[in-house]
This record gives sequence, structure tokens and C-alpha cells, in this order.
Amino acid sequence: MTLQRLARPLTLVLLSAVVLYPLVWMLGSSFKSPAEVLNNVSVLPDEWTPGNYTDGWNNFDVSFGRFFVNSALVAGLTVVANCISCLLAAYAFARLKFRLRGFWFAIMIGTLLLPGHVLIVPQFVMFKTFGWVGGDWPYAPLIVPQLLATEAFFVFLMVQFMRGVPRELDEAATIDGCSPYGVFRHVILPLSRPALVSTAIFSFIWTWNDFFRQLVYLSDLEKYTAPVALTLFIDSSGQTSVGPMFAMSVLSLAPVFLFFVAFQRMLVEGINTSGLKG
Amino acid sequence: MTTASHPLPRRRLLRGLVAGMLALPLALGACGGEESADDGKVELSFFWWGAEARAQLTEQALALYTTKHPEVTFKKTWQANQGYFDKLATLTAGNDAPDIFQIDDNYLAEYATRNVTLDLTEYQKSGKIDTSKFPEGLVTYATVDGKLAGLPMGENTQGLVFNKAKLEAAKVPLPTTGQTWEEHIAWAKNAAAKTGVAGTQDPSADYKAFWVWLRQNGKEFYNGNQLGFTQADVQAWFELWKGARDAKATPTPDVIHEGNATDVSKQLVVTGKALTSWVWANQMPELQKNTKDALEVIAYPGDASKQWPRASMYFSVYKGSEHKDVAADVLNFLANDPEAGKILGTDRGIPANTEIRAQVAASTENPSMKQTIAVVQELAKNFGPAPAVPPKGHSTVRTELTKAAEEAQYGRATPAKAAEQFFAAAQAAISR
Amino acid sequence: MSPVAVSTARPSPPAPQAGPAASQRRGRPARRSADGVAGYVFLSPWLLGLLTITAVPMLMSLYLSFTNYDVLSDWASMEWVGLDNYRTMFTDDPSFWHAVRVTLVFALVATPLKLAAALGVAVLLNRSFKGAGLFRGLFYLPSLLGGSVALAIVWVNMFNRDGAFNQFLSWFGIEGKAWVNDPDFALGSLILLAVWQFGAPMVIFLAGLKQVPTELYEAASVDGAGSVRKFLSITLPMLSPVIFFNLVLETINGFQGFTSAFVLSNGTGGPVDSTLMYTLHLYIKGWNEYQMGYASAMAWVFLLAIGLVTAVVFRTGRFWVHYSDGED
Repeated sequence: MTLQRLARPLTLVLLSAVVLYPLVWMLGSSFKSPAEVLNNVSVLPDEWTPGNYTDGWNNFDVSFGRFFVNSALVAGLTVVANCISCLLAAYAFARLKFRLRGFWFAIMIGTLLLPGHVLIVPQFVMFKTFGWVGGDWPYAPLIVPQLLATEAFFVFLMVQFMRGVPRELDEAATIDGCSPYGVFRHVILPLSRPALVSTAIFSFIWTWNDFFRQLVYLSDLEKYTAPVALTLFIDSSGQTSVGPMFAMSVLSLAPVFLFFVAFQRMLVEGINTSGLKG
Repeated sequence: MTTASHPLPRRRLLRGLVAGMLALPLALGACGGEESADDGKVELSFFWWGAEARAQLTEQALALYTTKHPEVTFKKTWQANQGYFDKLATLTAGNDAPDIFQIDDNYLAEYATRNVTLDLTEYQKSGKIDTSKFPEGLVTYATVDGKLAGLPMGENTQGLVFNKAKLEAAKVPLPTTGQTWEEHIAWAKNAAAKTGVAGTQDPSADYKAFWVWLRQNGKEFYNGNQLGFTQADVQAWFELWKGARDAKATPTPDVIHEGNATDVSKQLVVTGKALTSWVWANQMPELQKNTKDALEVIAYPGDASKQWPRASMYFSVYKGSEHKDVAADVLNFLANDPEAGKILGTDRGIPANTEIRAQVAASTENPSMKQTIAVVQELAKNFGPAPAVPPKGHSTVRTELTKAAEEAQYGRATPAKAAEQFFAAAQAAISR
Repeated sequence: MSPVAVSTARPSPPAPQAGPAASQRRGRPARRSADGVAGYVFLSPWLLGLLTITAVPMLMSLYLSFTNYDVLSDWASMEWVGLDNYRTMFTDDPSFWHAVRVTLVFALVATPLKLAAALGVAVLLNRSFKGAGLFRGLFYLPSLLGGSVALAIVWVNMFNRDGAFNQFLSWFGIEGKAWVNDPDFALGSLILLAVWQFGAPMVIFLAGLKQVPTELYEAASVDGAGSVRKFLSITLPMLSPVIFFNLVLETINGFQGFTSAFVLSNGTGGPVDSTLMYTLHLYIKGWNEYQMGYASAMAWVFLLAIGLVTAVVFRTGRFWVHYSDGED
């Protein structure tokens, strides 16, 4: 019996050791000196260089904290926009009947399928026509699309979750006199927490990591986000600062990690105790 | 790819529609954005890749220009070279390219032949851009189809960097300029045996080494828009290095592959996996920064006079710029003003203007920078005529060379087979 | 029958028929007309986004796929080339077929492994115990690295000749290879990287597991069912919509796999094209060789192919996905 009880924690510890080793290595390397970071393959540095953190933080005219703030701004707005807009669309797809529903759903899945690299130029031209490129607040092309639920991934995600909610709940609410809007407000919204939390987590993390779109639309050092700024450490044909880059990479993992740990609690609490009995 | 020679009217209409839609932002921009002409104030957008050090120097030099010309200010954008050309291309597609942008010989012809860069010849002729102090070869290396497509901002040349510390510790004689390729390989074999570290990176995937070797054999990499070599040349080159690999003068293929990346941080001489690396001479200071061992640089093997002054980077002016004359004047300032030259130093290569080069050499206190200038200067004495800048398709040719050379290095193809593959692919890439 | 499943398989379905039929069977015709309006009200932000932000660039790229568009040249000099790009792709670009093969291997191996890892760990973490949250976070950490600059350096150092993986092998007297730099194994190390970043499907599984009503397990315990039995007859069926979602998405992701191949091979697909994924080849054509017309054609061929795969997955979904909303 004890063996069985120990099996789960043991498996978890072993698994996480394997999974985390590369990250521990990165953490160790963030303390290596320039001469060591490229040659020393062991986890621990021979010579501890905590200076990588201060160097990395102050490496640019703008402190690295500014890039974190910019990233947090973009990621935060994206989370809110995605949660609202995708939830609305998902409710329509999962619960409401309307003409051409199947057709629109197929189209939505279709928009997931086209490789993004051929859309960059057309999108850029389009946003430029809209007058969204550049200016004092260059983040519009990164955020406005999310307000219009263009991330079909999340719509699909929420549709699948909503379809896991028994329809009897809607029907009960309808009998009680709820309109589709009432059902949305009183049944679907409270029961969609796991889907919303997942959406929030992914929106935040993917935006935090997204490099290319942010690179294309941001042209001012002060407006750069963390992923763009991280590449500034490595000019492959010339000056490279691998140590500070590792240091700032470690730091940039921290907010997303904390965001995740905070929000996953809401996943765990879930709806199984409150929702379904109601 | 062939194109329809008689597009139907309907198709022309579609094309016109897209072109019209794309012109819209230009038209809109024109009404709102350009009050600048009225009060004489000009803001130039300026785009380059690099790291923090380059950013500081460039910003200082541009600030100096603004001090001298208060009506001109700059909207500066800089980033790493990861994604640089993707962004530049996207901006260009949106008719939104910066007034001045940094570019290198991989892309100069791509942009120039597609009419993105402004032809600077007129400015050069009228003396508004002065290239009289530039080495002749450098100007040749900036000319595409008879047009001056960019102004060289620095010069470098091929350099063979070796790990002096390790060689001296093992009492191996240091390599010298003027050794033949065969002597170099024999030296590497000996050095490998004495030090236990591979003697030399196998540069068969490296176009610049191949190019030098071709010129020493009376050939060229390109003749205009044609390949300047034959399949037999490629085969001989691949066989030369197969011999070196068989003699254990080089590392194993997986290590060679690592070194085939062009990144400074991946050069084997830095990562300690080989005693020599094939680099650009001006990369010396950065290479040195990344290793504890003392490094030194010499010319590539063979006749050093077949090396040439390569423009390491250029600044080009966007053809659609609203302020072409001012932009040209800024280029002239950055290349020829002594103060600006002193600020910029050797960051983008040895200064193109030879007078400024001499000043920088005299005043610098950075030992590896000093050595770099000395080496390039020394080699420059023997430089023969420079080739033209590589044509459109060059970056594909480079990729194909790496691919074919690695086929041979991993033993997946004989040198003959790999040569055949590369030659066909290179021809296709050039004639596209 | 779900209108959703039907219509994805057949792009222009008789949705109006399917809808009423389904409702009538359920006997609530009264809600229909209100739903019709409400449906479009709720759909309107997405629809607006589709018609402006999503559709315009997509259709433009479709148009470009019939041209020789090269990004840099003036748009007016672009020429219509008919089906030339498509013809070249299938008959005159050996790398195209090579990339198709590489992508198939990658997607078919990495997707099931990643889903299995994600589901396995999610089930392990689906109990309340001290530090569960921390473990969830730790297992998600690798995904947080995304495709960053740091990732490439870390991964290469793990799987290089003197990397950690080979040190581990050496404990068992096995001499390893330079996995990332060997054309025979580079794709394998990419697959491993994809599996390593199993955080996203894991989170979705976790959220799905939380939706399974605990009453079901309690009832099963009363009936004397063991944990394996519970997993097979309760967890898997109840989780099937989420498994289905992950399967669809990870299949699409697998086929689209770009970032890791790009980052690890420095954008080349090397060594010797062993990691030249379809989307990487597309990227090289469009952004390094400026054949954006050709790249667009490649993208649309990809859309059709992967659309077919997705449709097949949706079809099979009717047989094994169980929805609590009563439609199947």
C-alpha cells in the first residue's frame, strides 16, 4: 500500500527532474561569464557571474523593465479581448441555432489552417491602410484583431468546453423564462470558467512569447516588448551577449510562471462542486 | 518560373485593383503626414541591425549630424539581425521602407535589382557623396547593374583566426599568411595530433573560402549574372576537403556543421572545438571577447592578393524616400566626416574612407581593433581587383553550397555527386 | 447529428435543414427564431473580424498565389502567372516533396506522443495534493520558453555530443551522438522538443478533467469499479470533447510546426534539409528567395491538405466523441 501511495509523488518528482533539467541548465548558464557560457556544458558555472542580471537589465538605453511593462500591457489587453470576444462567438456556435451556422464554423476552423507567413505582408498593408501602423501607440495591430475574436483557436476551445455542459441546464433556464441572453449570462458564463481560464493563460503566454508580429509593428526601442528585446542581445554577425540574454530570459519566465500558478488554481477549483448541481 | 506574356484584360484589372488598394495608404499619407516640407524640418527614418554597442555609436553619430543641421532629426529603429530582413521586406511591401537602411552584400543586389534602393551615382558624380577616398574595389563592390546601390560603411576581408594560446602551449608553429591550401591542411593535421583539438574547420560549405580559392585558380564565383566556375571546380574543392577530413585535420561532421553557422558565437575557435575558423577579419574583437584563449588572425591560405576589400555593410536610401537629398547628405556625412568616423570606429568594418581609417587606427586603444586594422591594412597592400557584388539569388546559392558540402561532409554523397547537385541548384538560383 | 460535424466535412452544408431537424427532434421549436437573431448577435464580433481582418489578407494571399509577387518590387510590376506556381510545386521542386515527407514524419510521431504525455501528466496532477499547483506550473515551464533565442542554445547543449543527454547515456556505457547535428537524428531531437513542450494540451486536459462530475466517480466506486475501469469508462468518454479538441489542434500544430525547426536550424532546415518542415520551406521561398507568390501557393495547398485531414478527424469524431449537450 505504501508503495502505491508513493508511486504518484515519485513519478512526479522524477518526471519533473527530467523535464526541468534543460531549464535548470539555462538558469545555471545565466550565471556564466562570457568566456564560459559558450564552452562550459555543465550546469554550474566555474565562476559565478551574477552581473549578467544587472548587465542585462541595464544593457539598453531603456531598462529591461520597460520591455516587461510593454509586454504585460499587450498581453493583458489581449487576455481581456480574447476572453470576451471568443466567449460570445463560442456561445453562438455551441448553443444557438441560426442559418449557416455549420458553414461559419467550417470557415472558422479553416482560418486556423493557413500558414501565417503568407499573411504578414497582406496584413501589414491592410493595417497600414487603416492607419494603425506606427504612431504614438503602435500596439493597435496587435490588439484590435483580438477584440474581434480572430484567434479561432480560442473560439474552438470554448465551443468544445461549452458542449461539455449539459443542455438540461439551458433548458431549465429557458423554462424559467430566460432568453438566449439570459442563458448566456446565468448559465454559460458562470460555467465557462475553466475555458476562460485556459484562454486567459494561453493568450497571456502566447502573446508574451510572440516575436514576429511584435517585431514587425514595433519600431521604437521604448515600445519594444520582451521577446523582441531578448533578441537584441544576439547579433549573430557581431556582438553577442549570451549570458545577459539567458539572465533576461530567466527573468521573463518569472511573470508568466506566476501568472500560470495563480490562474491554474481557478482551473483546479473548477465547476464540479458548484455548477452541476444547480 | 515563366510568366504569362499576354495577361488577359480581366487579370490586368485584378492586378490594378490590388495595386490601387495598396497605393491608397500612400495617397492618404500624402495628405496628412508631410507638413515637414513647409517649415524646413525633416525627419528621416533610419533602420539598422546590430547590438547595443552599434546602437550607441550610430545614435551618437546621428546626433552629431542633428547638431550641425538642426532642421534634420532621425526616427531611429534598430534590432537584432534576426528578423531584420523580414521586417525590411514587409515595410518595403507596404511602401513604408525607412529613408535610410543598413544592408549587406547578401541582399544588396536583391533590393537593387528590384528598384528598392536609390541609385546614388548622380550624388557621387556631383560630389555630394564623396567616394574619392574609398578604395576602388569598395565602390565596385557597391555597384549593381552600373548603379551605386548603397554606400559602403565599412570594409573587411576574409581572415583565418587561430587559437594562438593553445598552439603555443603545445609548441606547434603558428600558421602564416602565404601557406598553400595543401600546406594549411598538413599544418592542421600536425596541430590536431599535437593538441588533441581539430586543426581547422572544414570550410567547404563557406562561400567566401570557396570564392578566394576560385580566384586563386583563375576563376570567379560570379561573372555578372552567371556562375564563374564549373562543376569540376566544385568537385575539386569538395575533394580537397574530403582529403582533409580523411587525414583528421578537421573535426567530425557534426562539429563542422556547428561551425558552418555564421554566428560569431558558434565559430569553432570560440567554442574550443577547432584551432582555426574562417571568418571576416573585422569579427576579431568579438571573437576574442567570447574566449579566454588569445586569438590571432592571418589571411586565408594561398595567394593573399586574391582576397579583396569587401564592403561589410552599406547604407542605402529608399527610392520612395521623400527626402532623398538630405538622406544622401547624411550618408556622405557618416562616411566622410572625421568626427563621425571617429565615433563609428570599426563597428561596421574598417572605415571605408582611407584617411579616416588611418586616424582611427592611430587613435584606438582597443588591441584587437588595432590588430584588425593592421591586418586588413597589411592585406590591402596586396589586394587585386575586387569582384562585383554578388547578384540576385546569392543567398540561395550560399544555402545550396552549405547543403551540398554537408552532404559530402556527412558522407551522404561523394564530392562528385555533391558538386553536381550544388552546380545545378546554383545555376537555377541565379537564373531565376 | 451535429450540424457542426456535418458541415465541417462538407463546406457548404444544408445547415438550415440540419438545424430545424435537430430542434424538432428535441421538440423546442419555440426557441428557434429568437436563437436565429441571437446567434448572429453573439457571432457579430467574430463575423466582423472575419470579414475585415481575417478574410482580406487570406483572399489576398490566394490571389498572390497566382502571381509572381516578390515582396520587394513595386506592386504594379506583379504579373499573373496562372497555375504556374502550383505546377512548379508538384513537378519542379524536389525540396517540396522532401518537406512533405519531413512534415509527415514529424506530425505523425510528435502529435500522438505529445498528447499521450500531456494526458498522462494531467491525470497524475488531477488530484488535490500539497504542491499540485506548483507541479502544474513546473510542467508548464518548458512551454513558456516558446521559440525564444534561449531555447535553441539550451536544446543544442542538451543534445550535442558532450551534452547532458549523452552524459546520461554514458552512465549506462552507451556512447551517444551529436543528436541535433546529425542528419539522421536532428528531426528526432525536434520531435523530442515538441513532446517536451506538452504544457498547452496538458492544461486543456486538466481543465477538462475538472469538468467531469465527481458524482460519476462516486457512483462507480459504489459499483466497485477500479481506477483503470473508471479511467476507461468515465474519464475518457467524459473527456472526449477535450481530447478531440487537442487532437485537432495538435494535428494542425504538428503539420504547421515551424518555430522549433526554424530556431534550431538557424532558419535553414539543416543539417542537409533533415528538418526542412513544410512551413519552413515555405518561409525560405517567400522570405529568403522573395518568391511570395510561390509561397502563397504552397500555403493554400497546405490549407487544402490539412483541411482534408481535419475533416476526416471531425468525421471520426462522431464515433467516439461524447458531448454532454446531447448532440453527438
